[in-house]
Formats: sequence, structure tokens, C-alpha cells
Amino acid sequence: MSVQKRIAIYGKGGIGKSSTASNVAAACADEGYTVMIIGCDPKSDSSITLLGGKRIPTILDLLREEKDVKEEDVVFTGYNGVKCVEVGGPEPGIGCAGRGIIVAIQTLKKISKTLNEMDLIIYDVPGDIVCGGFVAPIRKGLVKEAYVLTSGEYMPLYAANNICRGLAKINTPLSGIICNSRSVSREKEIVTKFASEIGSDLMAFIPKEQIVQDCERDGFSVMEKAPDSSIAQVYRDLAKAIMQRDTSVMPVALDDERLRELTR
Amino acid sequence: MDKNITIIHPRPSSIVAALYTLRDLNVDVAVLHGPPGCSFKHARLLEEDGIHVVTTALDENGFVFGGHDALVNVLHKVNEMFKPKLVGVVGTCASMIIGEEMHEPVMEADLDVPVIEVEVHAGYRNNTKGVIVALESALNVGIIDKTEFERQRFLLEEATNVELRHGAASREYLAPSRGDVKYKVAQRIIELLKEGKRGLVIMNAKKETGYMFADITVAINEVAEQLGKADNIVNMANIDEKLGLPRVRHHAECIANDLKEKGVVIHENIGGLDEYPIAGNTVDQLIKDKYIDFDFAVISGVPHAIPMDHISNMELISVTNGPRQVLPLKEMGHEHVLVEIDLHPKTLGVNHIVESEFGATLREVAKESL
Ligand SMILES: Nc1ncnc2c1ncn2[C@@H]1O[C@H](COP(=O)(O)OP(=O)(O)OP(=O)(O)O)[C@@H](O)[C@H]1O
Ligand code: SF4
Ligand SMILES: [Mg+2]
Repeated sequence: MSVQKRIAIYGKGGIGKSSTASNVAAACADEGYTVMIIGCDPKSDSSITLLGGKRIPTILDLLREEKDVKEEDVVFTGYNGVKCVEVGGPEPGIGCAGRGIIVAIQTLKKISKTLNEMDLIIYDVPGDIVCGGFVAPIRKGLVKEAYVLTSGEYMPLYAANNICRGLAKINTPLSGIICNSRSVSREKEIVTKFASEIGSDLMAFIPKEQIVQDCERDGFSVMEKAPDSSIAQVYRDLAKAIMQRDTSVMPVALDDERLRELTR
Repeated sequence: MDKNITIIHPRPSSIVAALYTLRDLNVDVAVLHGPPGCSFKHARLLEEDGIHVVTTALDENGFVFGGHDALVNVLHKVNEMFKPKLVGVVGTCASMIIGEEMHEPVMEADLDVPVIEVEVHAGYRNNTKGVIVALESALNVGIIDKTEFERQRFLLEEATNVELRHGAASREYLAPSRGDVKYKVAQRIIELLKEGKRGLVIMNAKKETGYMFADITVAINEVAEQLGKADNIVNMANIDEKLGLPRVRHHAECIANDLKEKGVVIHENIGGLDEYPIAGNTVDQLIKDKYIDFDFAVISGVPHAIPMDHISNMELISVTNGPRQVLPLKEMGHEHVLVEIDLHPKTLGVNHIVESEFGATLREVAKESL
């Protein structure tokens, strides 16, 4: 086995991190890699499309019941053997979700053998890194490289730029920018430029297509439900690119003015 | 003086300050809403003072999922166990950081006694915050009235100023010290008395610490008596029985009774036991008017709250219970500074004057030199 890839996908809330993560996970599994996806969002929606729309018990569900958590209780096998884990969280507005992620990640690290056997582990994190808990996977050394997902719109780029600044601050290399299109004008050009100016590359341009949402509604990834669609091929190419990627950089965030110019 | 210094020696937190305030308000039980180890030392000391301090014992799960149920359960439990008439609930860093709401569980527990909710954590630079929040809440549930609240708030501000000027908040770091050797200072006092020097014995104590500081007043008076110099001594003490929260007034009464019984006359009553931050001004005025030519002064309790204006020509002997207070007092010009180590624990749960180390030393040295 080659070196294990441990990545996280960051980006503005709602930009498409979870659907990209699950489709990439599925595509990598199709390529024969062993893959685990770890949902670090209290919403617990990272793996749902890999499990035929079913929800799985989360690590924090079990910890809440003060149960002795075992690997088989929290690691589930989804589409084409993809291992699915959800961290879970407290009820919205109560307790501390950030602390929850820290505790859950530590628990997983302790109990999971599978974790070490994977070719690829994808951490799917929520859009807003509101506190230290949300970067726990990085801080605890579980994530080795980060990808940033953005569209060509100003606000997602603004968020992406901030994330890059944050990554540099906590010494986490950026392996690439992925564009999840919102069909705005000159989008590919804008994001390509952004990627190169912060010192990285555009890894993929994922078009905006209804089929993503149709599959999601039925509880599936595009890879499973519509493997012959053109967008499935985009995910497949992205998956390969990620698995082959061996360069990463400390990103240099753009200043506000430059960012504005870029999208003008 | 730079008031924005960052003080790096740890000090009692607002949580602890809130606990002591609840004690002064005569709660029967105080519930710490937070981790089991929080403030354990003070919690235990307070038990000696007759109040029960318990914790909701939030653990990792509590941090993540919140401690609503834990608080409701503990409130029910203490209600059954201790049949309290007044209860306090105090926040901690852990519960406050995760945004715990204490009012809801208190409502849900629905005890038929008043509950004083104190939303504090340990992160306030000035721990009087804990006192203020406790008093505000006590005001809200009708335990104290507006007048007493305002009085307390004023005293707290003054207490803060005292600490900023010459106290533990006056410097970024103050190394603790055990002060001067008590034996030597005892000898010096006896010397002064023998020489016929006139001395002021001033107790400016904070609340229950008066139980021990009063013993120093007693000891000096005893020794002066033995030396036939009783008339050379003037006693001042902040033991006004009519001022302060009920518990504090009770302490004043107990101390005053003991002093009377021991035949010690307090010539000047300089305020309530909670007025140590402002009694200094009264003392200053009194000295200016009546005692300006005295030779020495023994000041116990919060000596740094007494202005130097009219005492700087006297030989000053001060007795504090704060090891970090030694340096500032020396710098103010106090020649001898003594520390009653671990005074506070010994003054909890008592209602009579307790022996001080310095008082005992003075009595022994006097025996030898008579
Ligand atoms: N390429 C695409 N084409 C069409 N719809 C898409 C595409 N990518 C994502 N979506 C849709 O956008 C919505 C948001 O996506 P997703 O939940 O993956 O975002 P997210 O970044 O994970 O959000 P959050 O920050 O809340 O976790 C979903 O309904 C998803 O199906
Ligand atoms: S950090 Fe705060 S909550 Fe924790 S023990 Fe200290 S005072 Fe208590
Ligand atoms: Mg998501």
C-alpha cells in the first residue's frame, strides 16, 4: 500500500463539500481504493448518500449514552465498501459541538483499526470553522492535506481565501482548489486565477447539474445512481487526480482588493 | 500607576468570590454548575462554615451535550438531603463557555425556596464581578434590598481601588513572602511599651478574618496591662454590629462580645466588618484629630487600606494574611510586616476569637521578659 492519503475538504457553507466528498469517495472506491469518509458535521449528512439514504448512529450518539464505543458500532460499510463514520453532535444550541468533535475524533482514533488500513480518508467538515473543535482533525494530526472548494462567486471565494489564510496559520498545506460551479460568468477563469495566485492549482471544475440533487434526494451518490452521466466522469477524474496528487503548498491568501478585482 | 497591567499571579476567581458572597447571604446550599474539581478547596472550607457546597460534576459528556438535566437532578437531590431555605447556583468556566442557561433548570426543578443564580466564570480579571453578580441576583429574588445592594457595590469598588493602589493587584507579579520574624517583632512591641511609648492598635479586618485579627488586639492589650501601660494604648476596630449582610453583622457581634468579655475596650469603632476598604479614611481622620502624636501603630487585617498621610511618622507594624501583601506594605513604609499564614481557614465556622500566631508569640515573649 502506498502512503495513506488523509484529506479534508473545506469551503463556504453549502458550497457542496459533502456531495463532492461522497462522490469522490465513491469514485475512489470504484477505482479499487479503500476509502473512509468521516463526517465531522453535527448535521451528520456526509455519508448519507453512500448508505442509500440511511442515517447511521454517530460516535457522539453512543458517547451520550455512556456506552463503551466499539469500532463496529460506528464504522459502517456503504457503497462499494466505503467506510462511513459520522461524528454527530449535541442538539443545536446546546452544549458544545466543537468539543464534541474533539472527543469523537479522539475516540475514533483509539478504537478504529480500519482507520489505519485505508488508502484514503476524507474528513468532511462544516463550512463555518466557528471554533477550535472544528479544526481538531488537523490539529490532532489526522489530516495531512486540505482541499478547498469554491465557486466563482465573490462570497465563496472570500471564504476560500480566508480558509487559505487559516491553513497557513496552522501549518497545513493546501493540495488544491476545486471549483463547484454555480454557473456564473467566467467562472472557470476566475477560479483558475485564484488558485494560481494563492500558489496552488485548480483540480477540477464540477459543473452544476440537476442530477446531483436528484440522486441526493433518492439517497445516493451520482457515482452509484448515475455512473454514466458526464458529471460522474468529472468526479472520477477528480478522484484520480487526488490520489495521484503529490504536491501541496502553504497558501498565500490574497488581499481583499485583489480578490474583489478577480471577480469583477 | 498603570492600571492596565496584566497580573500573572493566580488569584481567587469570581466563582470563589460568588461562593463566599452566597455564604454571607446565608444560603444553605451552593451548587457549582461545572466540573467536579472546580473550586474544590474553597468548597470544602465553606462546608466548615456551615454551608453545603455541591457540584453538578459535568464531565466530558456534560461539556458536549450540556448539563441541563444534571443541574435539575442536583437541585432535587440537595432539596431532599438538606431541606434548604435558600439555595445558590454558581456558573463555572465550563458551563458558561458552552452557553449553559441556568435559569431554565432552576425553573424546572421548581424548589419552593428562593434560588440565587450567579452566572459567572473564572475569567474575569477582577473577582469582585462574582460578588456583584451574586448580589444582583439576590436583589432580584428579594434577599437584599436596593440600599444594601448599592452599599455593597460601593464597598466593592473601593475594595478594588485599595487592591489596585497597594494590594495584590498593584503589580504584575508579587512574590509571596512569610514576612518578618514574629518573635523579633513581639520583642520590639514590648520594648516600645516598656519605654512608655503610646501606640494605636487598629484592626481593619475583612469579615470573618476579624476572628483572628482581633486576637492580636487582645494580646497587645493583655501585655500592655501586664506592663502597667494599658493607658498608652488606643484600640480601633471595624466591628459595627449594625452594618453589612446578616452574617457579617453576626461576626461583628460575636467579636465585640468576646472583646468585652476579655476586658478590651474599643475606643474607636471605625465601621462595619465589610467596610475595610473605606474605614481607612475614618482612621486617618481620627488620627489627624486625636492621635497625631502617637509613637507606633499595630495595624491588622487590611493594613494597606489605611492611608499613610498621618501615620508615616509612627513606627508601623502590620499584620496581614496575604503573603503577596508583604512587599507592597514594606514599600508603603511599614517597618515590620507579619503574615498570619493560613488565617482564613481557621476563621471559618467559628463564632469566637481564635488565637493568632503573633498573639501567641507576643504572650510568650512577654512572659519571658516580665
Ligand atoms: N455540482 C452540483 N450541482 C448541483 N447541485 C449541487 C452540486 N454540488 C452540490 N450540490 C447541491 O448543493 C447542496 C449543498 O451541498 P452540500 O450539502 O454538499 O454542501 P456543503 O458544503 O457540504 O454544506 P455545509 O457547509 O452545510 O456542510 C446540496 O443540495 C447538493 O446536492
Ligand atoms: S477552569 Fe474554571 S471551571 Fe475549570 S476548574 Fe478552573 S475555575 Fe473551575
Ligand atoms: Mg456538509
